[in-house]
Amino acid sequence: MTELSLTIIFIVGFLALVSTSQGVLLSRASLQGFLTYLAVPIVIGMAQMVVLCIGQMNLAVGAMGGVSTAIMATQMADHKVSIPVALLVGFLGATAMGAINGALVVLTQLNGFIITLGTMTILLGVQYRLVRTFTIDKYPTSLPDFGKKNIVGFPLILVIAIATSVVLSMYFSRTGSGRRVLATGGNALAARLSGVSNSRSVFIAHTLSGALVGVAAIITIASLPGINRSIGGDWMLSSFSAPIIGGVLMAGGTVAVYGTVIAAGVIRLVDIARAQYSLDPSIVSLTVGVVVLSTVALSEWRRRRTVRQNEGRKVLPA
Amino acid sequence: MLSLLTVALFIFFGLKNSAFFNADFVIYPLIRDAATLSVIGLAQLCALSIGHLNLAVGRMAAVSALAAGAAYQYLHVSLLLGLFMGLFVGASLGALTGWIIVKSQVNAFIVTLAMDFALLGFVTYIYVTFTGATTAFTTKPAGMEFWRNTSWHQYCVAGVCGPKIFPMMLVPAIIAIAVIGFIFSKTRLGRELLSTGSNLRAAKLSGIPVDRRVITAHLMSGLLAGLAGIMLAFTNGSFTAAIGSQFMLPSFLGPVLGGTLLAGGSVAVLGTFIGTLLTLIIRQGLSVQGIGLETLNIALGLVLLTALSLGQIQKMFTAIRMRGRT
Amino acid sequence: MSAELLVESVSKAFPGVQALDKVNLALHGGTVHALLGENGAGKSTLIKIITGVYRADAGNLKTNGEERFFDSPIEATHAGIAVVHQERNLIAEFSVEENITLHNPPLRLGIIDRTERTRLANEALTTLGFEIDLNERIKNLSVAQMQLVEIAKALVTKAQIILLDEPTASITAGETVKLFEVISRLKSQGTAILFVSHKLEEVYEICDTVTVLRDGVSVLESKPLANYKQSEIVDLMVGRHLADRKVVIRKVDRQVNAVLELKNLKTSLGHESVSLSLYPGEVLGMYGLVGAGRSELARSILGLHEITGGEILLGGKSVKIKSFRDALHVHRIGYVTENRKEEGLFLDFSVRKNVSVTILSKILQKLGIIHVGKEDVVASKYVDRLGIKVVDNDQLAGTLSGGNQQKVSVSKWLAAETKILIIDEPTVGVDVRTKASFHELITELADEGLSIILISSDLAEIIAISDRILVMRDYELVGEVENTKDYPSISRSIMSSIHSGS
Repeated sequence: MTELSLTIIFIVGFLALVSTSQGVLLSRASLQGFLTYLAVPIVIGMAQMVVLCIGQMNLAVGAMGGVSTAIMATQMADHKVSIPVALLVGFLGATAMGAINGALVVLTQLNGFIITLGTMTILLGVQYRLVRTFTIDKYPTSLPDFGKKNIVGFPLILVIAIATSVVLSMYFSRTGSGRRVLATGGNALAARLSGVSNSRSVFIAHTLSGALVGVAAIITIASLPGINRSIGGDWMLSSFSAPIIGGVLMAGGTVAVYGTVIAAGVIRLVDIARAQYSLDPSIVSLTVGVVVLSTVALSEWRRRRTVRQNEGRKVLPA
Repeated sequence: MLSLLTVALFIFFGLKNSAFFNADFVIYPLIRDAATLSVIGLAQLCALSIGHLNLAVGRMAAVSALAAGAAYQYLHVSLLLGLFMGLFVGASLGALTGWIIVKSQVNAFIVTLAMDFALLGFVTYIYVTFTGATTAFTTKPAGMEFWRNTSWHQYCVAGVCGPKIFPMMLVPAIIAIAVIGFIFSKTRLGRELLSTGSNLRAAKLSGIPVDRRVITAHLMSGLLAGLAGIMLAFTNGSFTAAIGSQFMLPSFLGPVLGGTLLAGGSVAVLGTFIGTLLTLIIRQGLSVQGIGLETLNIALGLVLLTALSLGQIQKMFTAIRMRGRT
Repeated sequence: MSAELLVESVSKAFPGVQALDKVNLALHGGTVHALLGENGAGKSTLIKIITGVYRADAGNLKTNGEERFFDSPIEATHAGIAVVHQERNLIAEFSVEENITLHNPPLRLGIIDRTERTRLANEALTTLGFEIDLNERIKNLSVAQMQLVEIAKALVTKAQIILLDEPTASITAGETVKLFEVISRLKSQGTAILFVSHKLEEVYEICDTVTVLRDGVSVLESKPLANYKQSEIVDLMVGRHLADRKVVIRKVDRQVNAVLELKNLKTSLGHESVSLSLYPGEVLGMYGLVGAGRSELARSILGLHEITGGEILLGGKSVKIKSFRDALHVHRIGYVTENRKEEGLFLDFSVRKNVSVTILSKILQKLGIIHVGKEDVVASKYVDRLGIKVVDNDQLAGTLSGGNQQKVSVSKWLAAETKILIIDEPTVGVDVRTKASFHELITELADEGLSIILISSDLAEIIAISDRILVMRDYELVGEVENTKDYPSISRSIMSSIHSGS
């Protein structure tokens, strides 16, 4: 789906929900809630997007988030570490986990799927080890307060999420490093012949993915009352839907930052619709699954049509 | 070599803690779990044979179990009939998935991922709608207890009784292993599936009906996933929405450890069983030591990654051997 | 600054094939040097050695005075050598400007310096005298434009030696004119250009010097092109010695119904109106350059691409071939594919399993079980007949040499016992002796009644074994020659069909 159509769907959907809720949706509380809960899906969508754009994938997104938040929480609660330091440690931890994924993929030359399946399993064990069956919530209240802050009317954490997207977008469009990563995604052979290290691109993409999970972890711990072992449990599957619907698979060599953000927004709207109309959660899942499938099928069909058009005799303009 | 490792670890854990050798509380459940998990491993193996992944094995298991459970609860069918109905549902889901893959030409990973998504909520919805708070079909068909708890010890021939550590649940697993092993090693179907996995284009250009074979492979995957789901339901004693939620990792561990290639074209059926057995031995062994669930996961993840790395090294050597040729 | 590339006595062997044998070539700045030769003569191997993809076994490479071979394409690029291949090495989603500067984009503290990048790209385009919107994405460009972008890219890497591999293969005449203007400009600036092409007419238009390779040997080394007539060059490429071989002209009965007839066939790939007939026991050669549309025609006949007009007749009856399986199992047409590794063989399967894949339905016993004994018999039959060198039938296809692999690929089709067999470039990358044995095999099969269409870009091969030769260019049949085995005249007729017009 193009960015334009997604934006239209978002606006139309939002307005539809507003009107059918008789304006309740526009109330401070609901709007606040909507915007707040948009932050994490956007960032984990980014985390998956950066690997999808070069043909990799990260199944460990949820597990990495779980471990990262667990590290932060236990640091603060058990070891009385200050908030900024704890957050930094958790963030660096997530980045390191991403780097390990990247290194393993490069070293074993294997599919990112199976490598991250392995690391995901390990991390789930680590998460349990850290958190067990408890809910850790004994940390300074300045953290949740921070999580509830607003900037010019918008939740701070949403602003952080959007800012992250903007920075990411600029990384991919303006920096040599970012362009090299996309070159790998666009045409690995051409990239290699131009001096780009494809292995490095894969490594960078996975490390970035980890860093983004780290950001999501920071947002999560700031906005939830406590951390337990369920954190990150539903991240994995949903991290795929926003980027895929947002168009990251359309062509190698592009990221779809805007598309991913808007798609995350649309998926949130579907969630709200579900609550508003008391629909079953299963409907949401089912719909998302179908939409993901259709998006991919459509982009695949379009890609094949282009290939077919370029096949055969080349009748070119003189 | 895998078998040696399995036996070695078995002995190792037993020596470390003799409680490991407890037939009723450790070995019997271990083999029973191995039976179910081998079957889900075979489900993944069928997808792997053509170079595809089936990410929805867990949900397909859940839906099949749901169908069987509902049949037992509302239609009061016999054990066998309910089983067949469940298997039919699983096979149909698999075939549908395969058909979508063929028609849309989309990567199997994506299709099964989306299928997983779609089925995720579907299962919960049905359970909640029909059974309300219990979220389970609890009707036990006649004969379920038998499959659930008895062992081969029941059967005696000429005064020699079967080992009591072998659960009855092992029987469907053995049948599945035998049938799948037979298909892949001896039949034309198996040959065509493996050819499709080994080189899709060459298979097509040799007259193999690749589209049909893709659908068949996924159908087999769905059917076996369904079997595993129903086996688990029998083991647990009821049909719940949680069935299959833990199937994803084991479905890969068994085949990968056993030597099935992720890229397709080569499967190891017996190896899948041994691989599954190995992971369960590790799990039970550690558990008997008092080591918790979390370390288990860590250990299993490490085992998977190590096995994969070793497999890659082996592949590299084979490639070097082949590379000398034009 | 005078660019110079000297290839001195370079040799390279692959298992079973001597790809290059003491080849010499002197490429100087300010000249356009043609590298000519049939498919398999060694041109691409030589280019790969020059660009660091392969390493030579013997000889020297002197680049601008420095004597060294390159270990990677990047090293060659740093030494000032750039190559423009037939497959575009560009990133489709990136802009023209970005692709031109892909090799070393100007950065300031890690951020791309867009102003500098635009300047560099413009500089290159101005040098070439070529205008294009720098912000356009590569995927929206024509093939000719993409090629010019690649040349601009070469300039930005300060290449003084540019190798052009079949540059006019997929572009129109008008675009060729533009390309030649650019080449002239480069030449006047002192760049050394190596021009690899099959189109002799164009070669004569733009090139100054010529080197001809045949079977890995440089039979003509860096001589002025003007000293040679086209026919002389063709003789050198094909090899006059073949004319002395004992030739057999087979008798083909063309009074009966053709086994296969195409009437004004139109395909979705671009064939407009192709008509041909194949008679029982005939070997019909189809000659053409890469991209002529021959394999595409074959695949359309076999049901892999859409037929949009015209008719296919088998044994006089009009048929609709719905799929590849239909072609094989119902109509008994087989296809020995061009790329045996990608499309013809299962490299991790044994020889036995590779040979039997087309006849699985015929070697079954009950319950769908494959009769391994029968399978083995079939495999052995063809291993013996074709002389495939294997330890046993269970040896993996991937471990065989190129020639033996090709034999396995062909065996699969012989086992299928089809009535018609389309063979696509059977001896590419195959050693001379195996080539000869293949030629004998094809003639034997035709004598046994198999009707064969032989697609080949190897002129000597086509003349050696075909009964009739069709010439294809740009998806059209432009010539038909009855094979009298008079090499000089046949090869000239064929060449003139290829190069005439346009």
